[in-house]
Amino acid sequence: MTAYILNLLVLISIYAILSTTLNFIIGYAGIFSLAHAVFFGIGAYTSAFVAMNLTPSFFVAIPIAMAVAALTSLALALPALRVRGEYFVAASLGLQMLAVTLFSEWKGFTGGIGGVIGIPPVELFGFAVVKPWQFLVLTLACLGIVIVVIRRLVHTSFGRSLKSIRDSESAALASGKNITIIKTLSVVLSSALTALAGGLYAFYMAFINVESFMLATSVLVMAMVIIGGTGTILGPIVGATLLMLLPGALSYLSFLPQTEIGSIQQIIYGAAMVLLMIYRPGGIVSPKAGGGTA
Amino acid sequence: MLLLQLILNGLQVGAIYALTAAGFSLIFGSTKIFHFAHGATFTIAAYLFHYALTNLGLHWTLGVAIAAASAVVFGIALDRFMYAPIQRHEGSFFTVFVASFGIGIVVENVIGMVFGRSFISVSTSLSRSVELLPDLYVSPLIGLAVITAVVCFVAVHMFLMHTHAGMALRALSENTELVKTFGLSPRRLSAYAFALGSVLVVPAAIFTAASSGLNPAVGHHVMLISLAATIVGGIGSIRGAAFAGLLIGMVENVALWQMGTQWSEAITFAVLFFFIIFRPSGFFGRAAVS
Repeated sequence: MTAYILNLLVLISIYAILSTTLNFIIGYAGIFSLAHAVFFGIGAYTSAFVAMNLTPSFFVAIPIAMAVAALTSLALALPALRVRGEYFVAASLGLQMLAVTLFSEWKGFTGGIGGVIGIPPVELFGFAVVKPWQFLVLTLACLGIVIVVIRRLVHTSFGRSLKSIRDSESAALASGKNITIIKTLSVVLSSALTALAGGLYAFYMAFINVESFMLATSVLVMAMVIIGGTGTILGPIVGATLLMLLPGALSYLSFLPQTEIGSIQQIIYGAAMVLLMIYRPGGIVSPKAGGGTA
Repeated sequence: MLLLQLILNGLQVGAIYALTAAGFSLIFGSTKIFHFAHGATFTIAAYLFHYALTNLGLHWTLGVAIAAASAVVFGIALDRFMYAPIQRHEGSFFTVFVASFGIGIVVENVIGMVFGRSFISVSTSLSRSVELLPDLYVSPLIGLAVITAVVCFVAVHMFLMHTHAGMALRALSENTELVKTFGLSPRRLSAYAFALGSVLVVPAAIFTAASSGLNPAVGHHVMLISLAATIVGGIGSIRGAAFAGLLIGMVENVALWQMGTQWSEAITFAVLFFFIIFRPSGFFGRAAVS
């Protein structure tokens, strides 16, 4: 039972990093990405590659993974953010589908459909993090760092510029903000932090394949952000916790067919997204009840 | 000969893409609703057509009628019970997109639970290929798809240009306030747009079911094509979306000359990205760079 709870907590923390970083671009910059799982995947595959071919050191593998994800997102964001918001939705959906093909075809780097097996445990100052509780501490520390970084950023002039763009692009432009640069930077930063979650995931699971980085994951993370509440620090964490507990909770309801749990879970959060948008667009943790701030 | 074969296949796929994209473009252009659940409409129509023919053994005309009715009902219901309440209090891009996306997830999974998650296709006598020239296989479906697409586009064009409702719809895409001033109801026009846009996916759904087949997640692919074609063709231009759909279908198939089928979505992405970088306003669009 302890092992089950520890495992769940590690996964909740990893998904909380994912939803927090996605919230940074949805909630504060007003950019809708359907490609979050791509950067999660890039982080995971790159960390695994570095760990197996160079060194499993946390301070080598994770920064490399973050840099690769940041560069990839730069290539997507720079052209796609120059134009209207709908373009980014389309471009990120396209990237997500392209990435699934790449992840399953590029055998030298991703191991193809079979995935990467036998990723060594991560090393921190020469000390291998093997036990689940040790890993939980590491993941929670990373989550804490991500939250602090984003909180700080939101309260700087950069964060205020982002919110001004989200609320009115033309007003921000009129007050002399370089919208494209600010938006692109926010996507690059969010992708780099997403890759951190990817690296943690790869080291924790010791096995990764394309299944974890498909559109379904992007959708799940988006649901976490939206159900929890966009534009708040607490919202995405609440969303991640709720949606990660859902499969376990559903499997207690013995009258449900066990093979359909995955579908039922998706129907629940799909319906929750629709109802929230009609009645409470701010999400569960909403700054002001009933009123949309995003 | 292989190239000719691929061009012919591209024509069929392109006609299907053109119809899907035109439906999305019509709805998005006139109502400004980012109708991501357009893919769900496609899935519902295709699965009900398949069910009517394969499981109930109905005549294909009945199948088409069921598919068309379900698409129209689904489209109008979403407009009335989901988009209208959202637009009443806010209606930002965010809320509309998320709700639309949510309903897409629900439909995909309900279809998966009811009809199964595996790949299905409808086999008809029309989908059997005939060897027209040595090594050139042509099924009557190709011609039928192209003719249907042309007929649909002529009909839509006549409707938009020569009927009062069509003219009002075009006015709606220009200026909602002015439409109200003239005593027309944007809500009623919105229902027209959804009915027409949704019915346009029906032939596309049926041809896809009869040729390449479907699975419950086909909606995402449909949306990628629709969005890509809408952008490549120029936002707000139905004609542009149709041409762009044809172009994407053609490029996807001709690329098979050198690449495997798994790369077809990569090709779509490449076309889209090329346009975003070099011509963001698309073929016929208004300026899109902010």
